[in-house]
Amino acid sequence: MQHVANLSELRASAGEAAIVVDRLTHVYAGPEGGVPALVDISLSVGKGRFVVIVGPSGCGKTSLLMMMAGLRRQSEGTILCHGRPIPDPDPKRVGVIFQEASLFPWLTTLDNIEFPLSLRGTPREERRRRSRAMLSLVGLEGFGERYPHELSGGMKQRVSIARGLVQDPPVLLMDEPFAALDEQTRMTMGHELLRIWSTTRKTVVFVTHSLTEAVYLADEVLVMSARPGRIIDHIEVTLPRPRTYEMMATDVFGRLRDRIWQQIRKSA
Amino acid sequence: MRRPAPSTVRWAMLIVLLALWEFVPVTGLVPELLLPPLSRTLAVLWLDRQVYLAALLVTLYEVVLSMLIACGLGILAGALVGGVTLLRTLLLPVFSSLYAVPIVILYPIFTAWFGIGPESKIAFAGIYGFFPVMLSTAAGIRTIDPQFVLAARSMGATLPQLITRVIIPASLPTVFAGLRLGGALTIIGVVVAEMLTASAGIGYLVTLNRTILDSPRVFAAILAILVLSIAYYMLARALESRMVVWQSAGRQGRAASADRRPAVPAPAAA
Repeated sequence: MQHVANLSELRASAGEAAIVVDRLTHVYAGPEGGVPALVDISLSVGKGRFVVIVGPSGCGKTSLLMMMAGLRRQSEGTILCHGRPIPDPDPKRVGVIFQEASLFPWLTTLDNIEFPLSLRGTPREERRRRSRAMLSLVGLEGFGERYPHELSGGMKQRVSIARGLVQDPPVLLMDEPFAALDEQTRMTMGHELLRIWSTTRKTVVFVTHSLTEAVYLADEVLVMSARPGRIIDHIEVTLPRPRTYEMMATDVFGRLRDRIWQQIRKSA
Repeated sequence: MRRPAPSTVRWAMLIVLLALWEFVPVTGLVPELLLPPLSRTLAVLWLDRQVYLAALLVTLYEVVLSMLIACGLGILAGALVGGVTLLRTLLLPVFSSLYAVPIVILYPIFTAWFGIGPESKIAFAGIYGFFPVMLSTAAGIRTIDPQFVLAARSMGATLPQLITRVIIPASLPTVFAGLRLGGALTIIGVVVAEMLTASAGIGYLVTLNRTILDSPRVFAAILAILVLSIAYYMLARALESRMVVWQSAGRQGRAASADRRPAVPAPAAA
């Protein structure tokens, strides 16, 4: 990951990058003129990397993620996903996992996971096969016929991850997926996510405001300032993989977390 | 002592009520002109069964047609007003305030326009039932969790898919609540209209027999209307619980799943 200075460099790096954001700026229409939300964001996410964007609430990190997903338009700048712009959502390139699991309450677990496949008319048998495979990947065998209200918060997020993975997109965007969970479940889910990631080797962009989660999960951490959001630091997390809970007690982990905290505090 | 089940209590209340209906007039506490005993009411109902059945069929015909109008137009208008921002800001306040108007004041005009036959009842009851259906459909669409729409879009849903696969199922519980209420209002509308100006129907029998002071026949007609309303209510409930499985499951399922499925091992994170 490097800050991309100009377009030719951008093109050069686009080959091995999954996502490239170039001089992105976003301005909201407010009652008294434009309100800047994101300022001059440039970044690139290498294929297969786990990149965490961390920043204070309201810094625009979720907006940035939604733009990478093609769910929202930026005012200026470009986003390339696997070399091409993404003006509209494209589930073949990008899967999105939301903060609220946002499962459809009228569908069973399996039907929820299959939903993106059924939208594009995948035959029923193939749908079942793929959704069952995803269900077991996230460790929920035997829960396929349950409705969302019968699942715990952690289980719902597992289903939501399975739904994001079922189309096998090379890129997974995750918007604070564990924010609504309790501390223990959150740690377990982080660990589970790393296990799933290590078997699928997706490119992951993960947004959070938890410093511990950021350091624990990431290959690289991008630190964003308070609104208007800009990228103020880029940290390579050198901890070895697989990550373990014990690493959180190490000096390296502490120093990394401290550095992020100092950056965010300075910017506020 | 164990508390009796609520359904037992409800049945007991019904039986007590029917017993009072039978025995209070017999004791002479209430004159039979005001309250004829249940047995006499039922006897009259049986004796005149052809008259009552014919009247009930007229009423039923009017109710079914006005329900079709109320539900059809109500869902259509509600979907437009709920889904299109411009229409919502323009029309929703108008419809909401119209709902508060006692529409029965318009009924004389309806008879002038459509005559005293079924048409005026159907038009009047259709409009009467239209408002709750339309307002709850609009509310159902407006209150859909925006996350559902965002999630579906991220999975590549087109606009028609969004409507059929997300917006309709998500708004179904609210729409059904409106349909239940709107349907009940069309029954009220038809019966009231028949009581005011008509030449047939069960409401007409109430008015006709009241003016000739034949109270057993008045009560027989009331009984027939009660049966009609209760049948409608049970039908609507059954239909609703069948269509909106996930919502009724959400309400009752929690308690049920707690004692029914402790054996299933949950994953570590759950």
